[in-house]
Amino acid sequence: MVESLRTPFVDELEEVRVELIRMAGLVIEAIPRCTEALLASDLAAAQEIIDGDNILDDASLALEHHCQQLLALQQPMAGDLRTILAAMTINHELERSGDLVENIAKAMRRVYGIDFGPRLRGLITQMSEEATRLMRFAVDAFADGNSGLAAALDDIDDRLDRLNHQCLALIVGEEGREMGDLMSGVQLALIARYYERIGDHAVNIGERVRYMVDGWRPGQPEESPADQEPDLGAEAADG
Amino acid sequence: MATMTDAAEVAMNGDGAVPLASEAPPGVAAAAEGEAFPPDVVFRVEVLNCYYGSHRAVRDVTMDISEREITAIIGPSGCGKTTVLRCFNRMNDLIEGARATGTLLFRGVDLYDPRVDPVEVRRRVGMVFQKPNPFPKSVFDNVAYGPRIAGSVPKSELPDVVEASLRRAALFDEVKDRLKDSAIGLSGGQQQRLCIARAIATSPDVLLMDEPCSALDPISTAHIEELMHNLKEEYTIVIVTHNMQQAARISDRTAFFTADVDAESNSRYGVLVEFDDTEKIFSNPSDERTENYVTGRFG
Repeated sequence: MVESLRTPFVDELEEVRVELIRMAGLVIEAIPRCTEALLASDLAAAQEIIDGDNILDDASLALEHHCQQLLALQQPMAGDLRTILAAMTINHELERSGDLVENIAKAMRRVYGIDFGPRLRGLITQMSEEATRLMRFAVDAFADGNSGLAAALDDIDDRLDRLNHQCLALIVGEEGREMGDLMSGVQLALIARYYERIGDHAVNIGERVRYMVDGWRPGQPEESPADQEPDLGAEAADG
Repeated sequence: MATMTDAAEVAMNGDGAVPLASEAPPGVAAAAEGEAFPPDVVFRVEVLNCYYGSHRAVRDVTMDISEREITAIIGPSGCGKTTVLRCFNRMNDLIEGARATGTLLFRGVDLYDPRVDPVEVRRRVGMVFQKPNPFPKSVFDNVAYGPRIAGSVPKSELPDVVEASLRRAALFDEVKDRLKDSAIGLSGGQQQRLCIARAIATSPDVLLMDEPCSALDPISTAHIEELMHNLKEEYTIVIVTHNMQQAARISDRTAFFTADVDAESNSRYGVLVEFDDTEKIFSNPSDERTENYVTGRFG
């Protein structure tokens, strides 16, 4: 059993972790809620999403201040230092993800009244589920210090990338052109892009979790033998 | 036999060959002539064990100390870090019952060879202690003390050596008008820099520092740390410190020692846990014991 000689510091570090997980919870909860509002053309629900982003922004600023305090006052080292540095970056990724959810809600107002049609509706629902799933995996990896899960997020994200491509193909295709004018098409493409970007932020969080757990940094060679096997999925993902 | 001045020149040129004894020990000539000993390695420690009487205080330490780097030794009390430091200039010889086994090469020369002169070792490997300990003499005489007893500097050149040493210790400007005053009247930080000037006046190769800042205020500590940074251009420095932030700030490489308990005798002995680049030790150490120590945990 490892005990700490710095109980107040360890407690504060735990608070940072809890604050971050709470922020991630806000994002994870907002994504499906926003999608529901989007597909139901529910303007009141969209406004709630837009207003709700302020809570995330305030939490982000508070967390940044907390991390700054710990760095200035506690001189954290090794794993503690990496946890705080990772928390600061993950904080930013979550705040940006919250902005993207807000962007979806705003874009929804710009395409208000549009008939999505069953195929686009299905694709948006799937993208929303994938983005939510990725964000949940990312925060699980952070909470559990699971670098294996964190490292897998990049590959898991391939599915969301493919859905984004399918969405774009549909929007610029005949079916999309029948839905509305060019501006509506641009807004729909942006909506798909916002979901896809949330997935990218989840992948970034995974990288920071790996740094926190193993000290690994993007660009460093992989140590796990599993990573050296030929990547059969890469080609499909690029296509 | 090389004169002291020749020896100093050899050391300053980083030539590898180090006459520490009146006659070279048999194994030493080969080491001096051969290319085998890397020129950038100042100390090579292999399976070093230190004993006080029958008690083994340090077990199986193996490490290389590199030239013109600051090597920090950190670890909890009783982990043997000062004992190891004192092996580097045979200061432990002065303690009755103290002995060391294993290999400790200084520039390829076995420091513990019976023919090696410990006084010459200590001239080449200077030491600065925790508490500033100037002699109760003038500032000038403190710095001139080493060169005088070594007879290595003509009397007419002593003022130049004293001034150069005080300048390198970043103290000259503060004491140039008080060279004849007693060193005891200097502040604690100035006294410690005087001790550093005194140590470098004999043109050593290495400076050992045993918690040189623990009795000093933050400003004086900053002075010493800046001085160490500058001295690194000419000297190899090994510092024992309890202040992890200090080790992180100033050192290139850090060795973490800890104390283990011998199950049979229930006695404690020091072991080297991890020795790596300082950034690695403080940001991503390999050993869990290092991680626990630098983050203030124990288990």
